[in-house]
Amino acid sequence: MRVAAPTTIDGVLTEITANGAEPIAGGTDLVVGVRAGKRKLPEALVAIHGVEELRQLEQRADGGLRIGATVSHETLYESPLIREGWSAIADGSALVGSAATRSTGTIGGNVANASPAMDTGAPLAVLDAEVVVRGAAGERRIPIAEVFLGPGRSAVEPNELLVAVELPPSAAGAASSYVRLEYRQAMEIAVVGAAAWVRLADGGEHIAEARIALSAVAPTIVRAEAAERLLDGSGCDFAALQRAAEVAAEAANPIGDNRASAEYRLALVPVIVRRALEAAVTRASGGEVAVPASRGYQRREGA
Amino acid sequence: MNGSRLLRGDGREKVTGQARYAADLQLAGLLHARFLYSEHPHARIRSISTEQARSMPGVHAVITQDDVPDVRYGMFVKDRTLFARDVVRFEAEVVAAVAASTPEQAEAACRAIEVDYEPLEPTLDAEAALAPEAPLVHAEWESYGTQQGVARDGNDCGLMTSVKGDADRGFAEADRIFEDRFEADMSHPVPIEPHAILAQWQGEKVTIWSSTQTPYPARSGVAETLQIPESHVRIVVPHLGGGFGGKCDFHFEAHVAALAKAAGRPVKLVLSRREEFLATDKVRHPMTIELRTGVREDGTITARGARIVMDSGAYVGDALFAAEIGLMMVQGPYRIPNLAAETHTVYTNRTPAGSVRAPGGPQVCWAVEQHSDRIARELGLDPIEFRRRNLVSDGDTGQTGQVLEGVSARECLDRAVEIARPERELEPGEGIGIACGWWFTLPVPSGAYLKLNADGSATIITGAQENGSGSVMALPLLAAQELGMTPDDFNILYQDTDAGPWDLGSAGSQTTANNGRAVVAAAREVRQQLLRLAADELEVDPADLELADGGVQVAGVPSRRVAIKELAAKAQGGELLLGRGSGTPPSLPPHDLSGCVGRLGYSAFGAPSFFAVAARVQVDDETGVVRVLEITAVHDFGTVLNPLGAQGQVEGGVVHAIGMALLEGTRYEGGRQANPHLLDYKLQTAADSPPINVEFIDAPARNGGGPGGLKAVGEPPIVAPVGAIANAITAATGTSVQQLPMTPARVWAALREERG
Repeated sequence: MRVAAPTTIDGVLTEITANGAEPIAGGTDLVVGVRAGKRKLPEALVAIHGVEELRQLEQRADGGLRIGATVSHETLYESPLIREGWSAIADGSALVGSAATRSTGTIGGNVANASPAMDTGAPLAVLDAEVVVRGAAGERRIPIAEVFLGPGRSAVEPNELLVAVELPPSAAGAASSYVRLEYRQAMEIAVVGAAAWVRLADGGEHIAEARIALSAVAPTIVRAEAAERLLDGSGCDFAALQRAAEVAAEAANPIGDNRASAEYRLALVPVIVRRALEAAVTRASGGEVAVPASRGYQRREGA
Repeated sequence: MNGSRLLRGDGREKVTGQARYAADLQLAGLLHARFLYSEHPHARIRSISTEQARSMPGVHAVITQDDVPDVRYGMFVKDRTLFARDVVRFEAEVVAAVAASTPEQAEAACRAIEVDYEPLEPTLDAEAALAPEAPLVHAEWESYGTQQGVARDGNDCGLMTSVKGDADRGFAEADRIFEDRFEADMSHPVPIEPHAILAQWQGEKVTIWSSTQTPYPARSGVAETLQIPESHVRIVVPHLGGGFGGKCDFHFEAHVAALAKAAGRPVKLVLSRREEFLATDKVRHPMTIELRTGVREDGTITARGARIVMDSGAYVGDALFAAEIGLMMVQGPYRIPNLAAETHTVYTNRTPAGSVRAPGGPQVCWAVEQHSDRIARELGLDPIEFRRRNLVSDGDTGQTGQVLEGVSARECLDRAVEIARPERELEPGEGIGIACGWWFTLPVPSGAYLKLNADGSATIITGAQENGSGSVMALPLLAAQELGMTPDDFNILYQDTDAGPWDLGSAGSQTTANNGRAVVAAAREVRQQLLRLAADELEVDPADLELADGGVQVAGVPSRRVAIKELAAKAQGGELLLGRGSGTPPSLPPHDLSGCVGRLGYSAFGAPSFFAVAARVQVDDETGVVRVLEITAVHDFGTVLNPLGAQGQVEGGVVHAIGMALLEGTRYEGGRQANPHLLDYKLQTAADSPPINVEFIDAPARNGGGPGGLKAVGEPPIVAPVGAIANAITAATGTSVQQLPMTPARVWAALREERG
């Protein structure tokens, strides 16, 4: 077996294109998958933890954010910048595995692994992220909506490296959240998850625009567009959010497995979506919802 | 009087990673073993071909049932062979074993073994298996040998009944009769260390390093199945990484020894986590529990009936312990004059069940305690008041008529209620539930030696097994008390069948009581020797001497003393200071088994102990997710020898119980476990563990306990919290969940049903 650990992106790309190497960062999916017999150990691996550029988390001149592929969940969870402007990512990162997996696992790995139960996928979907990949032919940007193709399948080609995730600037009056149904409080995998992004208007009276994405209830992360449209110009009281959340379930097509029956998952989608919307609206109106929003749910009564 | 807070002797090496476990050991020329499992839950073996596997690279031995003596073994029923013979009866039945230079080579060779199976219809429903026309899991069951007293009939491999008073009359005297049915899924012990075994032959003798909890029974199993004298088998247990019952009895020691013999080299087997779930015969029994109770309007219980069906899986193993203990939970710590209960232990084509911490206890206690709350509710009584009216007190009788004395049941309940009383009003979705229970201290033989070394230190040589609970680590406390020394003065040589006297092993929470008695007896022999030596030295009568502070002194005249160290050094030149002890185990209290069928060793409870647990939970009524916010556990352990260790046992038992209550359960798809891995068999994590209030009631055992009146500690803590959590869920929601584990989906479904 061949293992290389170059320190530049070009060095990584050479390993990928010339030797067919697969990139490894935290290894929290690859190593576990091989041990469990779910996949074979690649003939060649290229470790990318030594590439400085991939480790950067920086605000761009336009106010947007560039998150390098090997930024860890722990960093995202702790980052004041993320918590403030892109809270859903902090909510999602806070829930990944345990302290050990959070400090080892990376956002690039989470995206490229394309598990429908991933905890950063729905947040990236509602934040209109773009995934930046580089290959021999240069760089291309993939809108997040086109990244996830199926369970374990992403639009990142085998001869490409995911180098960063980019987020547009956070808008005034907007906030986001991610909530998941979890049976225990560590080492958990989403049973149902939902991210919400809302932009409020009229001094917080109405929702100007909303985005909702679901995890663990379809073959990929999915947006709940019908529910989003229902919220355009809607009030933001409990009943309005509940109505939209019920419509969001139409976007779900869950399977039954060890973690939950399809029936239970489907029934829980509206609950989790409404809670995500409640948290996002509260944050957008200047209220406090601690990270991660999943824990310590507070019902939002008023408008 | 409770003892001192002892920091255990093996603690530092365990937490710093210096402790060595069986899987860590290496031997010159060591080979690695892998098993070939049946994969089919039920099938006939038409043929096995190992030819290709034998010729593969690195392979030194491939064995099947044809390569070992044709012996059936089993603690209660001799229903099992080391490798499958003709028929496989569950998905992880061992069909063949390979020893090769690397684990990967052994695995590859296993895959190259060709087995031609004729799949058979599996028996998967224990209740259906009891029907007279049901297909037999063991066609030859009648020819199997059994331990005396076992009552069987076809797939019912252990029928037991418990009869007290006249149940019919009791029900006739009742104002109201309540019936409930409960179902508990299979759960697992999940020790952090998987089973690991090494075997090495020298001549006719084999040394086996094993992760067993019960070295002497394991030795007997090897001798029986390989048809060699027990004296040719030495079992050594390095540090043990937990057992929780899962490493009781006899597992794979003989398989590995047979491989090592065939290969002519030492062999090591380390199970994977998946194999831990599938292949060991120690899962907690799936059970259905039907309860029927007659009460008067004032809440007085007049009669109880129960029918329990336990799914034993493919073999009986040590399951009948669970059957009898579970049966003894039907009355629990309540005054019930008339009782008729029966337990059926049933063969199916699932993973064999057996000992898991407090076998049979938590499931039946969970059912009885929910049943109690329901009765109270429907009678309009507070559940605590209902219990107060029915809890046993001195002079009442147990389930088999034993007369109870020194009963602390009421005190446990009252303290638990007091400690758990909330300081503020409960939040919406919160509820508090309570559960009570009783347990026993198992009297069995045990033995120890004690030698006083020339440097003044001492060594305890014991047959007892330390499974992590601290029971062996606490033995120096007892010896130190006898010898006027400190616990730090003692080394312990343990977990080696060629060194220590026979012991049952770490099972039944019995170590501290029985081996403690042996250690005290051994220390007393040394004490007598020291007194004689000191009497000569100080020229006084031995009767005037006492041992204290590391010396022997004239009672009341501490200035006239001689250090033990000095006496020990002198003894080196003459008669060495050696003690031996066993002591006679106390007998079970007098009891009455008339009318009872199939009873074995747990027909009465020695030194009965009592406990009460309160749980405060929060139920998310939209999702069914339950969080345990606080547990209060009040236990009568008689005299507590080491409060620090006992507290750790309670905390560990509570967290284990929370897992059983809420998440730990095996899902079956046909004859196969669907979640045999830690991803989807969810244990509690540290983040899920609530504050746990632990309190001990000082109630020294009057009869049948250990030194100083101590009682069993290891198992009781897991028995009642499951029921307390169930009752807390009901208190929070008005709905009861009668399936275990009480998963979010089940709580959610129960709430939906209740609320429409």
